[in-house]
Amino acid sequence: MILIYILTILTVITFFVAVISKIIRISSAPVHLRWELYPVPHEGGGKAKYGGSRLEEPDWWEKKIHKDSLGELKVMIPEIVFLKGVWEHNKQLWIGSYPFHFSLYLFIVNIALFSIVTILKLLGNDVLFSGNIIGQIIYYAILIFAWTGSVLGIIGTIRLLFSRIVDPNLSKYSSASHYFNIIFIGSLYFTVFLWLISGRDFVADVSNFYYGFITFSTAVEIPTIGYWHIILSLLFIAYLPFTHMSHFFTKYFTYHKVRWEDEPNLPSSKLSKKLMEQLNYPVSWAAPHIGADGTKTWLAIATEIPKKEK
Amino acid sequence: MSSKKIDIKVTDISKGQGILVPIEPVDEIKLPPPYDKLEELPGFKKLTQQALDKYDGYVDGVIAVGVPKPQNEEEEQKLVESFLSGLMKLFSNENNWTFLQPLVLSMEHCAKCQTCNHDCPVYEASGEEEIYRPTYRAEILRRLYFKYVKPGSPLLKKFQYGDIELNWTLISRLVELSYRCTLCRRCAQSCPIGVDNGLITHELRKLFSQEMGIAPKELHEKGTVQQLEVGSSTGMNALVVKDNIEFIDEDMSEKVGFKVETKWDVEGADVLLIHNAGEILSWPENPGAFAILCELAGIKWTLSSEAVGYDGVNYGLFYDDVQLARIVVKHAEIAKKLGVKKIVMGECGHESKVLGIIGERIIGGDVHTENALTFMENIINSGKLNLNPDRNYFPVTLHDPCNLVRIMGVVEPQRRILRKIAPKFREMHPHGVRNYCCGGGSGFAVMSGNNFADWRMHFSGKMKFKQILDAFADEDLNSNSPKYVCAPCSNCKGQIRDILDFYGAKEKSGIYYGGLVELIINAVDDLKEPFIDFDMM
Repeated sequence: MILIYILTILTVITFFVAVISKIIRISSAPVHLRWELYPVPHEGGGKAKYGGSRLEEPDWWEKKIHKDSLGELKVMIPEIVFLKGVWEHNKQLWIGSYPFHFSLYLFIVNIALFSIVTILKLLGNDVLFSGNIIGQIIYYAILIFAWTGSVLGIIGTIRLLFSRIVDPNLSKYSSASHYFNIIFIGSLYFTVFLWLISGRDFVADVSNFYYGFITFSTAVEIPTIGYWHIILSLLFIAYLPFTHMSHFFTKYFTYHKVRWEDEPNLPSSKLSKKLMEQLNYPVSWAAPHIGADGTKTWLAIATEIPKKEK
Repeated sequence: MSSKKIDIKVTDISKGQGILVPIEPVDEIKLPPPYDKLEELPGFKKLTQQALDKYDGYVDGVIAVGVPKPQNEEEEQKLVESFLSGLMKLFSNENNWTFLQPLVLSMEHCAKCQTCNHDCPVYEASGEEEIYRPTYRAEILRRLYFKYVKPGSPLLKKFQYGDIELNWTLISRLVELSYRCTLCRRCAQSCPIGVDNGLITHELRKLFSQEMGIAPKELHEKGTVQQLEVGSSTGMNALVVKDNIEFIDEDMSEKVGFKVETKWDVEGADVLLIHNAGEILSWPENPGAFAILCELAGIKWTLSSEAVGYDGVNYGLFYDDVQLARIVVKHAEIAKKLGVKKIVMGECGHESKVLGIIGERIIGGDVHTENALTFMENIINSGKLNLNPDRNYFPVTLHDPCNLVRIMGVVEPQRRILRKIAPKFREMHPHGVRNYCCGGGSGFAVMSGNNFADWRMHFSGKMKFKQILDAFADEDLNSNSPKYVCAPCSNCKGQIRDILDFYGAKEKSGIYYGGLVELIINAVDDLKEPFIDFDMM
């Protein structure tokens, strides 16, 4: 059990270090040229509904920019919770992808619930088993989420795996890791399902593990299938940020920093200073018409008269 | 004319010699009568032996770029090395700060779910030809990125992202393939993750141009280079452009019965109007109508006679950031020198996009720009024009230029105008931000070398033609009573002109095309004669 606790610590560290370093890497990239794509949901004045922008206004630079953050939430919530984009553009995929992703959400909710009850237990309130109504609600919520998540997850896994194998549109573009990833996530659902039907008290087992981990106790007993589930889950959490599945957080950047990024370059703004720095980056593109030598800057190259081409 | 599908994989791009997939016209997008007989249309022109000897990069039997054949193995090797060097630069802060962040995000997070596929009009029109799938060329760059740019164990990278063999065959075919996408970015709208395969195509074109010096001559030599050297991508210098405008002014004055006079280089003007200079040569009634509009509205406006200042074209947007920057900087310098309050871009989508949003982060925010559609709506709202919509009593549909609508969010001004001045206005479907590209986007409208024009007609433009026909479905398509496709973008107009010619739509169905400003002037009640003369179109 101690080894599992150590693995848990290493997993949490790996996960956060990998996620944070990726966030830093992406955020510290240079400011790019505007590349938004409409509709941009924070456009105010009812424009977001039809995909309009402030550029529809005459002399827009003289007007106050009205950014509707609620508009972004109205798009983000259905996108995250229901995978709305996939539903609208690829219903066949949604049939497998939605239960597959929704099950992960349910498992994440369970992780949060177990963490809360563990903290409460440490504080002397064993809410899950104290017999009070809130404890009972949490107990059955966890159980329902685990059952629903594992069953839907298995269905989603089978459907996605089947599509990846038989649909040439997908199989032609799938690397070995695509199949591996689906099976890997499917194994998390399957092991929970086996744990649930093993006749053990699943909620008690898992909450004991959480409490044992926090107190570093060796007196925790979980079934073999529980060990399998925990080890696989830990390995998956550590592996996740290193794959394309890191879109669970990089999607923030693809939407907010590219697709919806429409900040105007106002004189003397922070943005304009940053852009001026970048215009002083040296250029080394080699085509003759560029006229770069590795030291000349973008600004110099963009403002000079290019060499006549032969 | 049905073709038997060849099963193509991503890795096939580097295999064999010659044409990877010979393509033929297909009938996937059904057109209504009298346009439903594919066999009556010309197919793809066969390439000449001279072209076959001269060029490489045969991916589909079409030549858009014309990649020169290396003379020997040593030259071939150098080109491969040059590509690799460009690949590294494409992912460096210094050389590609302009698009690095979105590019890396699109490289690393595609789930290969193919959700984007059916949003591509080229993929649809070609009968789902594998090489035109939005993810096909993107996947090639993605594999090269993971193989050569990203650090890590080769075995693990192969497991995670797949493999690909880099050779000259791949590179030369990829050059051509990067010019089989109109960069309309409709596919990017449907990606649930936010991956942008249109951007990847754009970046590939940049690598070829900025590092290897490979680009279509219409965009580079005759496009940006000529514009920077002579003053306009049309080849017009200042004297010629002034002569042409003088002629247009005379013509317009005669037409409207009062003096129309274009002012040049007026310092402190409210508006510096920059047209796509192609309008001056191909559709002189468009700049003419703008001059009338400004005159009637009492606007203090000017054109610039300085080189580059009288041509809003900026093909750099489609293939080369450095050329893009050079032209947009020149436009901004001219506006500052004249001390105008704002630049108004003519009816040109890509010009509007460059000056309106893309170039803003190069030239700074102290040069104000406004697109033509907003500008025109503001004039109409001012009540300075006496408009009579009955003068436009013929069916009108609206094409949404991708650059103005999907990319800039300018959706409603043109519609509000049409609702006021065109009683028989009807939408295409889908429209607005979910429109289909005309098929001439990303420079294609001016690219017709070898057999590329055939490709534009059969593949990239077919969906738009179907949309046009569908919009007029309640009219008699066998009658030549006039129907008007309003395309407020110069390049879109060029492509729509070519499609209508190709299908004989003017003769068969009376389908004409033009801009928005012409419709506005046509609705001005004070003019004796209609501004739009279908007999002359």
